[in-house]
Amino acid sequence: MTERNGHPPQLRLVGGGKAGSAGPEPTIRDTDWAILMAHAQDGDRSAYQRLLWEITPYLRSLATRRHRDPSDVEDAVQDILLTVHAIRHTFDPTRPFGPWLVTIANRRFIDRLRRQGRRRDRETPLTSEHETFSEPQANLEERLDRHELEKALDELPPMQRKAVQLLKLKEMSLKEASMASGMSIASLKVNVHRAVKSLRKILGDRSES
Amino acid sequence: MIATPDLIESLSKNLKPIRRLRPPVTRAACWLLLASVVVGLLAVSQGFRPDLATRIYDPSFTAGIIGAILTGVLAAVAAFLVSLPDRSRLWLLLPAPAVALWLTNVGYQCLGDWVSFGTDGVLIGEATRCLATLVLTSLPLSLAMLVMLRYAAPLRPTAVTCMGSLSVAAITATALSLFHSGDATLMIIMFNIGTAVMFVGLGGLFGHRIMQWIAPRPAIRD
Repeated sequence: MTERNGHPPQLRLVGGGKAGSAGPEPTIRDTDWAILMAHAQDGDRSAYQRLLWEITPYLRSLATRRHRDPSDVEDAVQDILLTVHAIRHTFDPTRPFGPWLVTIANRRFIDRLRRQGRRRDRETPLTSEHETFSEPQANLEERLDRHELEKALDELPPMQRKAVQLLKLKEMSLKEASMASGMSIASLKVNVHRAVKSLRKILGDRSES
Repeated sequence: MIATPDLIESLSKNLKPIRRLRPPVTRAACWLLLASVVVGLLAVSQGFRPDLATRIYDPSFTAGIIGAILTGVLAAVAAFLVSLPDRSRLWLLLPAPAVALWLTNVGYQCLGDWVSFGTDGVLIGEATRCLATLVLTSLPLSLAMLVMLRYAAPLRPTAVTCMGSLSVAAITATALSLFHSGDATLMIIMFNIGTAVMFVGLGGLFGHRIMQWIAPRPAIRD
């Protein structure tokens, strides 16, 4: 601010919007940021806003070194901004701002990477193979059971067959099934009940045997 | 997920002035003042051990007590320093010489006068009173330190809780040695090393979770 009078203007390159790993690295402007933070601690909103705007590209460049996924990078940056906000009273304006910020950033990165590692050990991501479809063509491994069931369904009266197909196999709600078939909700209920009863008879009740 | 510019907008829009923390050494001194008040109150209510006047002339006993007090003071200072993001982690080594002084003298006491290492060594009535001293000293001090250092949760929770626990353990061990006559080897080990291992172990195991629980929530609108 005033202390920059008399010095040649400071040239600074800031990666616009999304700074990639190959992008130029924003510099730490320690004194300016320390002054802005000191004002922010006293409640100066515009100083705080300027500070957060200025540190964000820098934090993003730090984050791209640790995370590959762009959404991870943005999450990490926001996590650091929130942490800076939560513990802004721990900054001492007589001390440099850079180390304060970098320690917070590094601790948040490490915590995030650890959490991700733990999650990776415990959870398996859902892939397209895990998805199930109501169409019989997709469920190859269930073919044998299905064959038997289809044969049994063919023996049912058409109204009952329709009700089972919509409500049980395609897992529609009563309302959706009524819209799709043109049958009333009451008749769907009656038909599905009767269909299940007769299917049980056809396939042989396993709980009794 | 909220966009980063929006986050910055809402954080700065809801900014409130806050009070800066006092210097770490000042805050450590405040906590140590609380510790001395707690120990002082216990001294009034429980009374010093009857043989303190004679024991105080035993150099290894005195050195052990001084070591424990120094450990308590230095570990508290280290905890308050390390809790801040811009201080070096090397401050964690600050209490190391005091710990060495404390524990070597405890070891020396045990080797020097190897007294009744048997069933007579521990008296049940004394043991329950010891437990009372232990809880009454450590509980308020741990809670106070936890509240004073809660902002360290997103930073170095484990290091800070270990240092804090070491400080609480050393002060508790001092209180136990001053109020209860247990010079049997087993008692000395229990008083000193037992409390140290117990508190630092608990701090290391649960410190992270307790800190998370008490941490200041980074709310966008506060």
